[in-house]
Amino acid sequence: MKMLIYGLITGILFGFLLQKSRVIRYDKQLGALRLMDMTIVKFMLSTILVAMVGTYLLKDLGLVKLSIKATVLGGTILGGLIFGIGWGFLGYCPATSAGAFGEGRWDAIWGIVGMLVGAALYAEAYPGLKKTVLTWGDLGKITLPQVLGVNHWFIIPIFVIGGLVLFRWFERKGL
Amino acid sequence: MAKTEDKGWSPYLAGALSGVVSILSVWIAGKFFGASTTFVRSAGIIERLFDAERVGQMAYFVKEVPKIEWQWMFVVGVFIGSLVASTTSHTFQWKPIPDMWEKRFGPSKVKRGIVAFMGGLIAMFGARLADG
Repeated sequence: MKMLIYGLITGILFGFLLQKSRVIRYDKQLGALRLMDMTIVKFMLSTILVAMVGTYLLKDLGLVKLSIKATVLGGTILGGLIFGIGWGFLGYCPATSAGAFGEGRWDAIWGIVGMLVGAALYAEAYPGLKKTVLTWGDLGKITLPQVLGVNHWFIIPIFVIGGLVLFRWFERKGL
Repeated sequence: MAKTEDKGWSPYLAGALSGVVSILSVWIAGKFFGASTTFVRSAGIIERLFDAERVGQMAYFVKEVPKIEWQWMFVVGVFIGSLVASTTSHTFQWKPIPDMWEKRFGPSKVKRGIVAFMGGLIAMFGARLADG
């Protein structure tokens, strides 16, 4: 029960911020895919950079555990490509479709229904995929610092600086 | 508060605050943000109404048990958070077709509905395949 309340509160805070910055809009999502408006990239990358620093700090203090998913190249690459096609059609991703509906953009409903059907179809296809695509390029639970054999505090600043350089470029180009 | 031309918050600020929310979530609840598993669990909950025995035997629903948990409530929360933010700032708008879509593909709600449905189906299949 406590976890359900945590989930709800976390979602409310995130949904509030998503709406305030307009990133749940179809026009913003398609704007990014059409390389016209980088608002959602600015949002996502800001979230990732802040969360990366904070999460690793807490990890070093022994307060949290990372939840690392296995890197399976077959699934990640094929799945990513398929996701991109669907995202381009729908213009919302799974979390933002809930947010878009929350601010009255009710075309998101069709997307949500489609996503439920897609999840059901995936569950049907899973036994076959598990024997094929999901065995291709299975690298296990790896991280960049681990693969490169360096401390994570060598990698994190590179990402932060790279992100800031990208932001500066976006602003110069008015994206 | 930093504002852009359409009176929204700066995406850098809102994004960074979301990062802080994520850190707190990992710290307090041990949970990382995610949404797509919720659609699997929900599909399982719906399918179970028709054939509980079949759902109970399907490998993917054994892996992602159809139940309401942290992430399910997180997705409901996103809906509520957006509803609260939009209604309190008068940006809530009951709107069937996005502007950019209408400019390119016209005002047909059926056309938008079909493409949105297909897009959602394809996107979710891909997201699950990538385990994201």
